[in-house]
Amino acid sequence: MVSFIQARNVTLSFKPKNREPVTALNNFNLDVARGEFVSIVGPSGCGKSTFLNILLGLIEPDNGQMQLNGTRITGPSQERAMVFQEFGLLPWRTVTANVELGLELKGVPAEQRLARANELIKLVGLSGFERHYPHELSGGMKQRVGLARALATEPEVLLMDEPFAALDAQTRDLMQAELLQIWERTQKTVLFVTHSIEEAAYLSDRVVVMTARPGRTKDILKIHLPRPRDYEMRLTPEFNEIKLRIWEVLREELTSRG
Amino acid sequence: MILKGYFTEHRRLWLGLCSVFFLVAAWELVLTYIFPVNPFFFTKPSLIAAAFKEQIQGAKLWHDLAVSSQAFIWGFSFAVIVGIPVGLVMGWRRRVEYSLDPFLTALYASPLVALAPLFIIVFGVGVLGKAALVFLLAVFPFVFNAFAGVKSTDSLLINVIRSYGGTEKDLYLKVILPSTMPYIIAGARLAIGRGLVGIIVGEFYAASEGIGFAITQAGDTYRLPDMFVGIIILSLIAVVLTELMRKLELLVAPWRATDEVRS
Repeated sequence: MVSFIQARNVTLSFKPKNREPVTALNNFNLDVARGEFVSIVGPSGCGKSTFLNILLGLIEPDNGQMQLNGTRITGPSQERAMVFQEFGLLPWRTVTANVELGLELKGVPAEQRLARANELIKLVGLSGFERHYPHELSGGMKQRVGLARALATEPEVLLMDEPFAALDAQTRDLMQAELLQIWERTQKTVLFVTHSIEEAAYLSDRVVVMTARPGRTKDILKIHLPRPRDYEMRLTPEFNEIKLRIWEVLREELTSRG
Repeated sequence: MILKGYFTEHRRLWLGLCSVFFLVAAWELVLTYIFPVNPFFFTKPSLIAAAFKEQIQGAKLWHDLAVSSQAFIWGFSFAVIVGIPVGLVMGWRRRVEYSLDPFLTALYASPLVALAPLFIIVFGVGVLGKAALVFLLAVFPFVFNAFAGVKSTDSLLINVIRSYGGTEKDLYLKVILPSTMPYIIAGARLAIGRGLVGIIVGEFYAASEGIGFAITQAGDTYRLPDMFVGIIILSLIAVVLTELMRKLELLVAPWRATDEVRS
């Protein structure tokens, strides 16, 4: 496999004031191919989100390094964009202005920004809500804005940190299906952190199971379900078997922590 | 039924007007029939109304208002220009916070009007002295509220800006300032009250014109109705300005508008 994203011995500790340092990641390794959809599951606090933040360029690891397409990651860049669990929309901006944010920070002229924003608003199915403010939208709609904003800057890698965790179950199912459609259309490389085994199994090419803190790769499972995937697949015995396999790997980590 | 619906909908206004009306009526009646007023020591609404009518037709009141407003506007504007950036930087930069904190805490807690004589000596009895006093009193609510606003800025939004490669300037302009706006406007409401105190104290202490001067002069010469005219005009100005700020707050932060729940 030619690795597009490469994490080598990534180690990071947090040093809270007056307390013992906490090792979030310990020699974490991962290779992801271009265009791949990889999910990361693991016990709470195992450093999944920390890993995404390092990949995004917001945090520098203490040791080891992260590469994207052969170049070391040292800070934020337009090649990578994050979809946040709590949406992270600016409440004083309309849907359009929120989607334009990344382009604005990049210095794209207003006209192009607007055209691009409209295109993405359409892609995520929010046409007609351009002038609404986030507080006027439902959770699912907010995350559509979050997704549109991340896609607007045309990143090669989409990082998703439990993006659907704040949504109700039905909205979640709907958003998963739409994410798959968008992914198939845009060919992005996706790193998707989740707590849901079902979500990971349904969306991913591979599922990375992490150990309890300090987080390392425990196992990587390939999901051999055909694509495009649909909701019915989740009701098949094969799908349940995949879920069970992930669960068995994950369970040891959950029980070992008591 | 329609009428009843109208009154229920606007009961805030109607109940307010009623209680003002009853207070004024009671004042008038008590001083007319129960303790007939000696106009030398106290006054009643009908006399104030007459004085009011006379004054708004004359030129002096308007001149005094113009003089006082000028000082207020200068002092208040500088309080905005200085207070907001200082508060923002203090909130964002810990070193600035720790360095400025002792001064601000001491000055905010002290009765700053005690400095009025000093200000008048240094800056003179004209517009400058009063404007300086207004500035001194009005600047702290801006500093403190901008500071508190920055502290309450959602760190997620900061990370969002950073993740798209935003600079320090982007953080200030696209997240910190807008999220702090509601706090700043709440600060402006406090600052208006304090600024008006600044004007009046300045004019009480040393002045030859202005609304504060008009009030003291009327008091010194036992023209109580004229004194009340000045006081009422000041309250009206304060109420109008504060209400404007409330409207502005809803305008800049519609997402914070919450429905009141009480009967």
